[in-house]
Amino acid sequence: MSSVGKYFTGIFKGIGSLLLGMSVTLKELFTKKVTQQYPENRATLVISDRFRGELVMPHDENNEHACTACGICEMNCPNGTITVKSKMIETPEGKRKKVLDEYFYDLGQCTFCNLCVISCPSHAILFSNHFENAVFTRSKLLERLNHEGSKLREKAPVKKPAPAVVPSDGGEKVKTEGEAKPQPKAEVNVPVKENKEEKEEKEQ
Amino acid sequence: MNFQAGRLIMEKIKEIILAAVPEAILEDKQVLTVTVEADQLRLLAKTLHDNKELPFDFLSQLIGMDWGDSLGVLYLLSSSADLSKQLLIKTAVKDRQNPLLYTVSDIWETANLNEREVYAFFGIRFINHPDMRRFILNDDWHGFPFRKDYDEDPAINPLSLESKEIVDVAPRIIETPNGLKEEKVPVFDKDDYIINIGPQHPSMHGVMHFRTSLEGEIVKKIDVHSGYIHRGIEKLSEKLTYPQILHFTDRLDYLSANINRHALCMCVEKAASIEIPERAEYIRVIMDELNRIESHLLAWACMCNDLGAITAFIYGMREREMILDIFEKTSGGRLIINYNVVGGVMFDIYKDFQKDTKAFIIHMRESLKEYHRLFSGNVIALGRMVGIGIMKKEDAVSYGVTGPAGRGSGWSCDLRKYLPYSIYDRVEFTEVIRTECDSYARYLNRLDEIEESLKIIEQLVDNIPEGDFQAKTKAIIKIPEGQYFQRVETARGDFGVFIESHGDKNPYRLKFRSPSMALVSIMPLICKGEKLSDLIGIGGSMDYVIPDIDR
Amino acid sequence: MLLEISHPLELFKLTAWLDSMLRSLMPDWGALLIEFVLIGLVLLLAYAVIALALIYIERKITAFFQCRLGPNRVGKYGIIQSVADMVKILLKEIIPIDHVDKILFYLAPFFVIVSSMLTFGALPFGNGLHVVDFNIGLFYLIAVSSLSIIGVLLAGWSSNNKYSMIGAMRSGAQFISYELSAGLSLMTIAVLSGSLQLSTIVESQTYVYHWNLFRGHIPALIAFVIYLIAGHAETNRGPFDLPEAESELTAGYHTEYSGLQFGFFYLAEYLNMFIIAGIATTVFLGGWNPVQIEGWNGFNEVMNWIPSYVWFFAKTGVLIFLSLWVRWTFPRLRIDQLLNLEWKYLLPINLVNLVVMAVLVVFGLYIK
Repeated sequence: MSSVGKYFTGIFKGIGSLLLGMSVTLKELFTKKVTQQYPENRATLVISDRFRGELVMPHDENNEHACTACGICEMNCPNGTITVKSKMIETPEGKRKKVLDEYFYDLGQCTFCNLCVISCPSHAILFSNHFENAVFTRSKLLERLNHEGSKLREKAPVKKPAPAVVPSDGGEKVKTEGEAKPQPKAEVNVPVKENKEEKEEKEQ
Repeated sequence: MNFQAGRLIMEKIKEIILAAVPEAILEDKQVLTVTVEADQLRLLAKTLHDNKELPFDFLSQLIGMDWGDSLGVLYLLSSSADLSKQLLIKTAVKDRQNPLLYTVSDIWETANLNEREVYAFFGIRFINHPDMRRFILNDDWHGFPFRKDYDEDPAINPLSLESKEIVDVAPRIIETPNGLKEEKVPVFDKDDYIINIGPQHPSMHGVMHFRTSLEGEIVKKIDVHSGYIHRGIEKLSEKLTYPQILHFTDRLDYLSANINRHALCMCVEKAASIEIPERAEYIRVIMDELNRIESHLLAWACMCNDLGAITAFIYGMREREMILDIFEKTSGGRLIINYNVVGGVMFDIYKDFQKDTKAFIIHMRESLKEYHRLFSGNVIALGRMVGIGIMKKEDAVSYGVTGPAGRGSGWSCDLRKYLPYSIYDRVEFTEVIRTECDSYARYLNRLDEIEESLKIIEQLVDNIPEGDFQAKTKAIIKIPEGQYFQRVETARGDFGVFIESHGDKNPYRLKFRSPSMALVSIMPLICKGEKLSDLIGIGGSMDYVIPDIDR
Repeated sequence: MLLEISHPLELFKLTAWLDSMLRSLMPDWGALLIEFVLIGLVLLLAYAVIALALIYIERKITAFFQCRLGPNRVGKYGIIQSVADMVKILLKEIIPIDHVDKILFYLAPFFVIVSSMLTFGALPFGNGLHVVDFNIGLFYLIAVSSLSIIGVLLAGWSSNNKYSMIGAMRSGAQFISYELSAGLSLMTIAVLSGSLQLSTIVESQTYVYHWNLFRGHIPALIAFVIYLIAGHAETNRGPFDLPEAESELTAGYHTEYSGLQFGFFYLAEYLNMFIIAGIATTVFLGGWNPVQIEGWNGFNEVMNWIPSYVWFFAKTGVLIFLSLWVRWTFPRLRIDQLLNLEWKYLLPINLVNLVVMAVLVVFGLYIK
């Protein structure tokens, strides 16, 4: 093709490609918009049950939890997010027994890897899909998960203690999370007053 | 297949090695390991690189090591013609005060940045290396953090809030007839017009820092600075157990989060001989391919944005959102999805997984057509991509540029084809290769790979076998003593995991091979002589992710 | 004749009444003084209001192009979003920059805004709403609108920032190149209508087929397209936004500006978009003339009821929409593509076009 021909076909091809692009954007001008109107859409917002918003320790109506203070979650946590404080008490039968005193969870350090939950032998903790975790100071991210005056549930909820890391059945896993969902945040988490700064050492 | 022929070639290679370096010790491990003395390293390297049988012209990984009594370097070599052929060179120096090795950066260009990284982490200096500044760490860092005797006292390297001047002077150590000579050379000419592109810059895809010298609009030279988001993941890993390390992999190349994690899981599973249920393999591959599409969509969107088409950016993000929703419902995560675990996957797929995925496939095919109409044929976009940022195949191999970018230079380098892991040997897909070597080839490669990934998902999604999604593993996973490699094809190319285990529950040394580092290392070469605007466009076409480099 | 048909909502009766009232109350110079001040205030007000409205419209339309909703939090449908933005920008701190050339640095935004203000004042917004009607109106528009490049160059030069410098240099090359095309395409129409006076140009375009765009058919159409492209480029908006080039130069020549000074650049950018569309409307699309079709008297009557300024803004609005549509579809040009487009395509075509138009006019081949 002569250079003059190229010059003009170039112009028309170029204009053609530009108009094609403009037709795409014109079509999109009238398509349904995808913006989600948060927080107005709170009522219709669907958050996956598996979404890991924050760690919670479910308590039943008797203010009892399933944590035996074994510390496996604390050991498994890669970031030093969890601190389990236990105390020795005397049972009515006169035996000395280790029970949970305070269970601290630092949301600010957590990477939501789920290792604590899948390694917990007594299914005492799980991740809730509550995602509105913004607060004004870092110290508020440090939470105490066990309620005031709560104690260990006596009847063993899990027949065979699952080996660490492996939850025996996936269906069951989802179900337990489903149970936790209705628990409102305020009930589950009691913000801790005192600052626990020493936990930061592990994160270099 | 031609398994026999492959064995024969490796036997020949062994002969070639022994002919050149008779003292070399050969061991058949997971990868053929050749141990040589430091002074014979270059001879061996040159022999392997130049041999006629199977030139080992692709340096996949360069790993610094501290074995306590000695420091050393491992070189994982591969051939650009056949990536399934691998070979490991191992060398060591006893001198811990002033360890010196010869550079191989003139043989494989990719060694350039990697050797600088080894210097920063282990203190090994490389003779004849053109630019022996520390990579990733600051020049004034005290000590070498990856050495086992490193003092972690924060008082030695206090956190400084002072702004530091960048000194563009590169020390180096060169060999002259009169012995070794240390010298300092300036990086830029005296009156260069230097602008800092990054670390905070709208189109640097993270905290990358290019010190760029310009002549008018033309890029004259680029000096790469990195490490602004260095978290010491490899070092941290040495103190953690394998399941704990897993959550770091998602934070390397966050756009290939699931694929990275797949690599580490496979490496640990192979080493600890853990059998994976079939169902888990299917789920893993589907998720990997979704992850790849997600990454390519973002790459496409960002590249359009870099070229100034902001509307296209939003369209890409819109489609990506559908994948993120599938991720969220499956794993509970959107970007950092924490899904693979040693032995399988963390959760089973949810009830509507197949339905959602198939709906996405249909939607995505439509969107791809729209993308092509909107951008691929646009005369302005063509002018900014065609013939821009030419990366020749030899350069791509030498710099180790893999992934869609490498395949845009005509290099067939898809590890899913060469080292089929998981169930990739059972699915049909085409390796997308283009030979134009320019930005446009890389751009189109990504869009075509989205289509190929859709095909893979289509083949798998209806055939997920019943069964467990997770194998039972021991509470504490220990890996037998040895060195283990696993390479996978992420959205950016050859991602490698190397574990040296001493039989403990945590690795003695863990190294991630970052595909983005290769992508960035070639930027100075392919951007030279291009316009400033094209530097950004080429960067978009390379699609590097910075946390992957900094680790 | 058209003008004899009643224009119930027109403002020229109001202005005429105001003028006669003032003149009856005081000497001529006093009336003029008051009128000047009033007109100045009205123009300033219109300037700000139009800019704010445009910012809102652009954000909304952009959002729709991009499948988003756009501003929708401040007021119903986010309608007072740009007012809120303006208040914010007025309250913002002007950050002093080290080592800048102080005088030039603070002077630069004024060049930009004064130039667009001067052009704005000379536009015929409606029947009787024309502040100054020079006999060289078209020439005046081109002349004063090119002043703004000085502001951009000064901003880039004085900012002590390499990004700003590159942006300003690009801007210089771009502006001077595209000024040629814009000027030549307007010249084509000047040949056709035989006048540089805006009022004459507008009044000559009564019926739709008298609009210069149709009257001059092919050459006028080419001139129109070229003017839109060149005008768009002059406003430094995408795909010609190289001086700002967000992904390369962060914000180009106004990187270092903050607060009200940045606001000046921002306002001027939007107003320039309006001015380019306004000039195109005046010169090619019959200005404030309503749509009139010969012989359709009833239709013409109805159209005449819609006041002329509404016509002006409606036509301008269509052109602005076109400009937004282009801006939010295309990727940015590179500097060499930009100059190629001008010097290899637009300018030669434009020169040929001018000659063709002259021939058409000489031989009377236009629609009479």
